[in-house]
Amino acid sequence: MFRTIQMGFALAMLVSFMGFEHASAREQAQALETGTFHGKVHMTSGRATVYKEAGGRLVLRLTNFKTSNGPDVHVVLIAAKDAADDANFLKSSTARLELGPLKGNEGDQNYNIPSGTDLQKFQTVSIYCERFNANFGAAPLEKF
Amino acid sequence: MTIHANTWLLRRKWILVAVGLPVLVALWWAFRPEKLWINEKVNEAAPFDTSAGPQPILIGRFEGNAQQTSGRATIFKKPGGEEYLHLSAFSTANGPDTHVLLAQSGDPNLAPIDCGPLKSSEGDQNYDFPSATALNKYQTVIIYGERSHTVFGLAKLEPF
Repeated sequence: MFRTIQMGFALAMLVSFMGFEHASAREQAQALETGTFHGKVHMTSGRATVYKEAGGRLVLRLTNFKTSNGPDVHVVLIAAKDAADDANFLKSSTARLELGPLKGNEGDQNYNIPSGTDLQKFQTVSIYCERFNANFGAAPLEKF
Repeated sequence: MTIHANTWLLRRKWILVAVGLPVLVALWWAFRPEKLWINEKVNEAAPFDTSAGPQPILIGRFEGNAQQTSGRATIFKKPGGEEYLHLSAFSTANGPDTHVLLAQSGDPNLAPIDCGPLKSSEGDQNYDFPSATALNKYQTVIIYGERSHTVFGLAKLEPF
């Protein structure tokens, strides 16, 4: 009985240590694409950059970012070269890829891009208001 | 008569509340008007290691002036603190005695820093500048024809 508990403890310590190791060992990353945000209806500014980590993971990072706060705002990649103000993605059949709800309307933030995403196809980042089907701002990406 | 009117008013009040409240809630939910003056600030660090290689700190896109100029100017900071200017996807006109200047504005006469003669009118290239350069002031890259005194093109830099 005591043995089992001891083993359990050792295992738990090992797992937590490994978890810690994983969290502290941050990978290097390479910037693949970058672009600046534009948006007139909802003033949007800042920069969007797609990074590829050494492990292959793709990350979208927004820096110096600012847009207006709103309901149900998401970060999406869209299969277009750019998106005009108030571009409506639902009516047009433009493919879009959801990256998650906008974490904040101001400041630096990161979003994971699903592995296997074709960046040749998804060339624009959009700050998209799901509720009103409106494009707050867009950043066309170009090779860094 | 008065009693009848009173009960009707009472009933109407109930209807008002029963209809009005859900409508108000729905409108609030749809528009979230308080977000007009509430900002949500975040400040996430980069999820990857930024200490290993050069990191971009300033970036800008070239626009043509006297000559068609395109591409991007980026100032990188090496892990040791050293900074350099990198031109990418760059293209301008060929000309004699063309220099790369780091200036405080689009005016090439206001004490610019000369980063050296342009290495090529096409392609990616790096330039060094003095380490004491105040990059908070010098945020314009000018491609300048020294002989003809013309600004071929310029890039206004902004924080990356």
